[in-house]
Amino acid sequence: MKAIILATAMTIVLLAVVTIALRFHQTAQPAKQMTLIYFGCVILLVLAWFTTSVDLGFLAPSLLIEPEWLDFSLMLFFFTAAFFGGALQLYNLADRGFSLRILIDVEQTTHTIDADWLVANYGAGKGLTWMYGKRIEGLLETKLVDRKAEMLELTSKGERAADVFLAVRRFLRLEPYS
Amino acid sequence: MTLNPVPATLIAVAIWFLAFVCLHIVGLRSRKGNVQWLVLSYAACCAATLVTIVTLSMWRDSGQTLLLSIPIALLTSTCLFVLYVPAVYTILTSLSVATLILLRRTDGRMPETSLYDRFATRGIIQQRLCVLVGAGYLAENACGFSLTSRGRALARAFAFIKRLWCLGPGG
Repeated sequence: MKAIILATAMTIVLLAVVTIALRFHQTAQPAKQMTLIYFGCVILLVLAWFTTSVDLGFLAPSLLIEPEWLDFSLMLFFFTAAFFGGALQLYNLADRGFSLRILIDVEQTTHTIDADWLVANYGAGKGLTWMYGKRIEGLLETKLVDRKAEMLELTSKGERAADVFLAVRRFLRLEPYS
Repeated sequence: MTLNPVPATLIAVAIWFLAFVCLHIVGLRSRKGNVQWLVLSYAACCAATLVTIVTLSMWRDSGQTLLLSIPIALLTSTCLFVLYVPAVYTILTSLSVATLILLRRTDGRMPETSLYDRFATRGIIQQRLCVLVGAGYLAENACGFSLTSRGRALARAFAFIKRLWCLGPGG
C-alpha cells in the first residue's frame, strides 16, 4: 500500500507543478517541459521511498506489499502510468485533440454548425488549414519528415515509423489511407 | 499466517488484461463499434479479474488479504488501460500517423499542397462529425449540429483544462 500512497501523493505534486509551470513559465514545447517535471518527480519519489519506513508509520502488516522491490517497482509503474496515461495524455487531448476542439468550437459559438463553418472557423476561428499546419510542423520537429522545396519527404526515421503503423493497421484490418 | 497476495494478484491482472487486448483486437478486426466494444470488453475483463482475485483470496486465506489485493488489482488494471488506449487511438485516428502512412504509400514524398488537399478538407471534418454523432456527443438536426448534454459536459471540462493550463486554441 506504500506504493499506492506515495505514487498518489507524487501525482498530486506533479499536477500542481505542471499547472504552475504551464501558467507561469510556458515554453515552446510544453510536452517536453512536462516530461522534465515528471523526471524531477521520479527522483523525489525514489528519495521518498528510500527515506520512509516500510509501513509509513501507520500501515497494518497485512497492507504491506512484499517483497520490497515489488512495492518499489509498482510505485514507479503507478506514477509513470499517471503521467503518460494521465497528465500528458490530458495535455495532448486538450492541446491537440481534433474531436475535442470541434466540441469546444460548437459549445462556444451561437452560429449554425456544419462542416463548412468548421472548415473556416475550427480552433477558435483559425480554420482547418492551421490545424493541419500544426500536424506538419510536429512531424518536421520530430524529424519524421523533411521539407524540400514544395515537397514533404519521409526521413528514414519516418519510414520506419510509417512501416510500423502500416503493419499494425494491416493486422487490425483497418482501411489503408490512399 | 497469510501468504503474500501481490504476485498472484499481478499475474491475474496481467492475464486478464492480455485477454482484454486480444478481445479488443478481435473486435477491431471484425469491425465492431470501436468505443462500445473497447468499453464492454474492458469491463468484462476487469470484472473477471476481480472475481479471480476474490476466489484466490478466499481459497488461500479466507479473504484476509482482499483489502490489499483489490486496490492493487484495480489500480494496475486501470494503469494498463490508460497506457493502452492512447496508443491504440493514435494508430486509429491520428492525422499525423495518416500523413506518414500516405507518404509511405506514395514513394515517401508528396507536394505539401496535396497533403493539405487530402487532410485539411471538409471531408475530414464531415467524417469526424459523423463519429461524434455516433458516439453521442453531437446531435444532427435541420439547422446543423448541436451538442448533446454529454458533449457539452466534455467540451466544458476540456475548455476548463485549456484555461487552467493556458493552452490557447489548440486542436
